[in-house]
Amino acid sequence: MRVLPAVSAALFDPLDGMSGLRNGLRAIAAERGDWAGIPMILDGSPLTIEPRYPHAEALSEYGRKPDDADDELKDAKVRNVFWSWRYRTNVAIWNNGDKIEWGLLGGPHGLMMALDTLKASDAWGIEQESRAVHTLGSLLRHRPFKQYLLTGMFMETSPRSGVHYLFRKLRPTVALSSRTGDTKVLAALCMHPIGYYDGSWAGAMTPTDDVIAHLMLMRGDEAMLWRRCNQHPSFSKQAGL
Amino acid sequence: MSGGIGILNVGAGDTKLTFDKNNPAELIRSARIVTDMLRRGYALLIEVPGKKGAKPTYQRVHAFREDTASYIIADLDPVQAAEADKVESNAQGQSGEETTAGAAAEPTAESPTPRLKPGRKTRTVPASATTGIAVARSAGG
Repeated sequence: MRVLPAVSAALFDPLDGMSGLRNGLRAIAAERGDWAGIPMILDGSPLTIEPRYPHAEALSEYGRKPDDADDELKDAKVRNVFWSWRYRTNVAIWNNGDKIEWGLLGGPHGLMMALDTLKASDAWGIEQESRAVHTLGSLLRHRPFKQYLLTGMFMETSPRSGVHYLFRKLRPTVALSSRTGDTKVLAALCMHPIGYYDGSWAGAMTPTDDVIAHLMLMRGDEAMLWRRCNQHPSFSKQAGL
Repeated sequence: MSGGIGILNVGAGDTKLTFDKNNPAELIRSARIVTDMLRRGYALLIEVPGKKGAKPTYQRVHAFREDTASYIIADLDPVQAAEADKVESNAQGQSGEETTAGAAAEPTAESPTPRLKPGRKTRTVPASATTGIAVARSAGG
């Protein structure tokens, strides 16, 4: 296994206040055999970790506020949740005792998600992102790689399904179909190896590692990509469109 | 000949395992790590040379043989499988079953590609002759 050269690590350490913790976690992960590493915990940015990942529960609990659900609604039973084009949000209908009530569910705001993504960037280091970009460069032809460097996205079509995938940095991958003549969005596919920071588009890994994970699963096992991803409709805020 | 596999890693960006026949210690270590990763649910995607001069494709590894340091993958060509699906879907359409245009090729959350089932033909790829990427278990965002 390649180890980060000491000179390279030392170069960024004085500039990055989080590098000490990051390097410490990397050493612990190598010692314990956590081959994908240990995600960085950040104040105010709780993580959602894949439940079977080592210490997932402890990592997910850190910094999470206790559930402040209304006491009045603690026995409520949700009957249905659906999208309303009129209100442009999800509408929930629930039973509260004998009464049937409804309300609008406030989804995440795009700006808040962008700000939370910005906040989560403290977790990543420039060296890690640089390595990921180099790896991506070895997987792409010149043009898509250039597009990625310049715009943060590139497109690739699956030879298997004919679906076009728009891979984007820090946003879900958009699956497009032009089978019927008109191009339509099938879904925005959101997935992060190990986990992600709640309410953001940021994953535990550096942004380009997330893109590599999407790309490789699409190439190697498209079914698994769709199974592992949350499939957001194009109009949802989480889709980032 | 030396192959390798890159592991997407939080703290190190990417780390690389090498399978070099001239370095047995490293080869044994890499083989053990690959076996452990598969046990832990990592997805290993390796580059597989195409048959009869076809372009190489990527496929997910289903198992690993530590004694020979080789990956075991399903023996299928994704494009050929898509064509087979299309033929099957047309046959179903002709027999009166309900189908939609292109349904065979558009992936759904269920399964666009055949899974490896017991008895299915497999193919062995020497780890020293290919490269790939390992992706940890993932959470939908």
